[in-house]
Amino acid sequence: MKECTQTNREFSWKTVLNENRPFIALALLLAVCMISNESFRSPQNLINISRQVACMGIAALGMTFVIIAGGIDLSIGSLLALAGVSGILVMGKISDPGLALCAALTVSVGIGVLGGVLNGALVTLGKIPSFIATLGTLSIFRSLSLYMADAGTLSSSNELFRSAGSLAFLGLPLPTWCFLLLAVVFGVILKQTAFGRHICATGANPNAARYAAIDIRRVRFGTYVLAGLAAGIAAFLFSSRLNSISSTDAGLSYELDAIAAAIIGGTAMNGGRGSIAGTVAGVFILGIISNALDMWGAPVNLQGLVKGLIIIIAVLIQRQNNE
Amino acid sequence: MLPDPLLKISALTKSYSGVVVLKNVSFSIPGASIVGLIGENGAGKSTLIKCINGVTRPDSGSILFEGREILPVTVASALKHGIVTIPQEFNLADPMTVADNVFLGHELKKNGFLDRSAMRKRTRELLEKLHCAVSPDAEVSALSIAQKQIVEIARAINRECRLLIMDEPSTVLNPPEVENLFRIMRSMREHGISILYVSHKLSEVREICDRVAVLRDGEFISDAPASELTVKEMANRMVGRELNRIFPPKTHTEKSGIPALSLKNLSHGKRVRGVSLELHKGEILGLAGLGGAGRTELAETVYGIRARTGGSVKIDGVEKDIRSPAEAVAAGIAYLTEDRQKSGIIQSFPLARNISLISLKKYCSGPFIRHEKEEQSARGYMERFRIKAPSERSPIRELSGGNQQKSAIAKSLDASPGIFLFDEPTRGIDIHSRGEIYHFIHSLAESGMACLVISSDLEEIIGLCPRVAVMREGMLAGMLEGEHINEKEIMYLATGVQ
Amino acid sequence: MKKFLTVLSFAVCAAALLCGAGCGKSPEKIKIGVSIPSADHGWTGGVVWWAEQAKKDIESKDPRIEIILSTAKDSAEQVNKIENLIVQGVKAVVVLPQEPAPLTGVCEQLKKKGIYLVVVDRGLQKDVQDLLVVGDNREFGRRCAEEMAKRLNGKGEILIMEGIPCEVNSMRVDAFREVMRNHPQITVLESQSASWNTEKGLKLMENFLQKYKKIDAVWAGDDDVLIGALKAYEESKRKDVKFFIGGGGSKTIVKKVLDNNPLVPVNVTYPPRMIAYGIEYAAAAVKGKPRTQEKRVVVPAEVITPKNAKFFYYPNSIY
Repeated sequence: MKECTQTNREFSWKTVLNENRPFIALALLLAVCMISNESFRSPQNLINISRQVACMGIAALGMTFVIIAGGIDLSIGSLLALAGVSGILVMGKISDPGLALCAALTVSVGIGVLGGVLNGALVTLGKIPSFIATLGTLSIFRSLSLYMADAGTLSSSNELFRSAGSLAFLGLPLPTWCFLLLAVVFGVILKQTAFGRHICATGANPNAARYAAIDIRRVRFGTYVLAGLAAGIAAFLFSSRLNSISSTDAGLSYELDAIAAAIIGGTAMNGGRGSIAGTVAGVFILGIISNALDMWGAPVNLQGLVKGLIIIIAVLIQRQNNE
Repeated sequence: MLPDPLLKISALTKSYSGVVVLKNVSFSIPGASIVGLIGENGAGKSTLIKCINGVTRPDSGSILFEGREILPVTVASALKHGIVTIPQEFNLADPMTVADNVFLGHELKKNGFLDRSAMRKRTRELLEKLHCAVSPDAEVSALSIAQKQIVEIARAINRECRLLIMDEPSTVLNPPEVENLFRIMRSMREHGISILYVSHKLSEVREICDRVAVLRDGEFISDAPASELTVKEMANRMVGRELNRIFPPKTHTEKSGIPALSLKNLSHGKRVRGVSLELHKGEILGLAGLGGAGRTELAETVYGIRARTGGSVKIDGVEKDIRSPAEAVAAGIAYLTEDRQKSGIIQSFPLARNISLISLKKYCSGPFIRHEKEEQSARGYMERFRIKAPSERSPIRELSGGNQQKSAIAKSLDASPGIFLFDEPTRGIDIHSRGEIYHFIHSLAESGMACLVISSDLEEIIGLCPRVAVMREGMLAGMLEGEHINEKEIMYLATGVQ
Repeated sequence: MKKFLTVLSFAVCAAALLCGAGCGKSPEKIKIGVSIPSADHGWTGGVVWWAEQAKKDIESKDPRIEIILSTAKDSAEQVNKIENLIVQGVKAVVVLPQEPAPLTGVCEQLKKKGIYLVVVDRGLQKDVQDLLVVGDNREFGRRCAEEMAKRLNGKGEILIMEGIPCEVNSMRVDAFREVMRNHPQITVLESQSASWNTEKGLKLMENFLQKYKKIDAVWAGDDDVLIGALKAYEESKRKDVKFFIGGGGSKTIVKKVLDNNPLVPVNVTYPPRMIAYGIEYAAAAVKGKPRTQEKRVVVPAEVITPKNAKFFYYPNSIY
């Protein structure tokens, strides 16, 4: 399901396996975990996992676009923190709970978009390589949130906010619904719109895209804004779940998890190739592994080891696929 | 009693995913000789080369080098035997110096450290022998293409090569540079080195090669002394049938009415200096000149890639300020880039998506792309241009060069231009597809398209264009028509010398 | 075709879930979950160590009980871990919350499921727990102030190093200052936060030494901070500070008291061992025999002097 290329080779089991690696890996992983661990199996656990991965997952969706277009956004975690902190600060100043909630949402999303605009401007107008530009904004955003929250944790006394975080429809919590919905929207954008096609072209061969009358600057700018939007939405959901946000810890290393999820899901680091569905699979794979390790009682500090190994394996498999 | 051939290939066979690419190929390359290898795109030339230099392994057959079986060959073992390949795109490290490149992979060492002065000295010797004035300390990225090629040759000699394989070496050279290359090749032959010269330029092959080997559809057709063949005969053997004139007849258009494209004193910095010319509807105008004369830069300025620093551009009599390719396309200008791998096609995309790249809006209803419409349009082009591909969804990188080029042309055409700028439209394309492209440009012109053809292939310019503009050092050196369109007059204007 | 395969794979997993739900249940054990911050040093490291001791102790005494230890690096992760504990079917949970606000929601949830909840050291935003085990922060602050005033003979210029701004810190510092108000000749030159962190304690002490040319005594407030402050003092080669008081009862500092170190004459406890008490209370409660009917157990702050130091010295402990 590589939306960018969607090429058609002769049908063979080998091709099908190749093209669907992340989903098959996810299915196998689920099967193994379910069979071997009793606590893992319970439906409540699976629902928990889906909620636990939702915020990082939304960030990963935004990151996918940026990577496919040939860039990278290292600042997405810190932007999440900044957006969340801003949201809660604003919420604290408004007394009416409903209005405060709307204000928090607007401000979070707004700050997210502004952050994305800054990133996009630095990369397209400033012509700064995305790695460096977002490395800079990573520090800037984190520093701003530390400053605004005095390096502490901001919490809200808004009851509506707290219960919004625990809302559930048909058994699935609100953050999960947001994640899945956003995945569908982003997936459609990537696969079915001209903008999505332009993103793939810009990442695959920026020169060819330019000569084909595609405004690659505008395309790249757009991906950063989308990533910022995703960060803002994730920030709102994140802080509503805990009814607070820690300016130091919120979103820490989210960018690395988001990149990992995208890569595991089949997005190429160099751009030009990738799929939103693959990223969703990657997000769940990371979430399931984290949860399963916990259920099996593995030491917390080793989880990073497992995650790193999986990323390396995913990239090796991807490279093999290309050849 | 003939001595053992340097390279003897017997019954070499190779298939890729069930498709037979080389069928029982047998031929030999004698020592101290230049052998040309010709064939259409897809005939199997690259695969044959890859089997010889170790990039691929043949399924069966044998390769004897100096009488000894060298299969299975690896890249390293081929180099050790003295088989060196210079690919079309060169294998040089741009940021490093000439000397670094010449010794890349087997640097000279003294006491464990790099012996820079020894390497430099040897490089200078080699370059002198090749009559090249480049300094060993020059950065490769600053060299011209011809100079880079000489560096590659120096590297090959430094590796004590016995068999040099050159893939399309002269496509990027202008005539004086080609002469220099041939001189070097002859001198290498004198030193006992054999050269396998792969090229589409049949007249050059005839000039420089001792023997010519022909591949067609994976089979070895013939191996004859070059003196016994004419260009026409070579082309026929490549295709397997009588090829009539590949150039369509020139038609002379009435230069009445407002020109489709009118440039007045157009400038782009120092690369394009005050060029004025007119291109009429239905006309094929050739643009000749040496590499670096500014032809591509001119086209890119008209197309909005480069900024116009002076002069004006008028489309159908209306002055237009074009600042981006999007504006150019909107004004009805199409541009076929000279390097299709780099800027013409997107390798990983399927054929249909390459064709729709510029005109994507046409296939959208609202914000959504209608994939079926896109694919239907691609199928239409595949039929119209005879683009050979398994399906419109095949990745374009699997198509041959000629078919890729046709797809790139289809892409530009899909945006319904009125002016088409072709930059080296047949570079690296086999003779059969070339003919198709020439006929195609001709019919486009007949239906009213204003065509500008930039080419370094004089044969092509002379054969195709009824009017030729020649650029030199950023300026328009002159315009030629009728019987004035010949190699001598074009070169005179292009170089400024007799 | 590809979509069909994906659906098929998920169907296989659903089948695994259904079949798995019926088979392979482990023998019934009473599970108690313990959720604490992760750390390998300092006071929090001491918590982890004491939790492990409690686990060994209780499980060996009563094989029916299984204690699941779960550490987390920040609040968000701690919430996830507690959710995971709930899923594993624990009957009781002992929590040392990283921060009160983020953890309140999930603790409310586990109360709704009827799980016995013990909160240790820091309270939540809402009192939903069955039992709160805390140190006595006010007494801690008071004792430190009394010991300092005694040794200064009621006169001198001192510095205060505070902890992370929160309720625990406010209680300690307010109690300290209250006592000091009774000694008008003792002046507090400055009070800054060292966040209960050794590194920050070192930096803060360096700044203090730069700013103030004569300091009589320093209340580091915490043993981890004290280690940093002592290092800074040592490196500065100054001689004016008469003594330091930390707090917590870490083995390094207790050893100094035991050895009659002139700079560290006394210490006040704030034992990480309280987590072990919390776990013991939880174990008793799930067995149906709660050890106390109170809703709140306060672990007293005791003064450690060279005379009684040997009773407070645990050389094997991490803290």
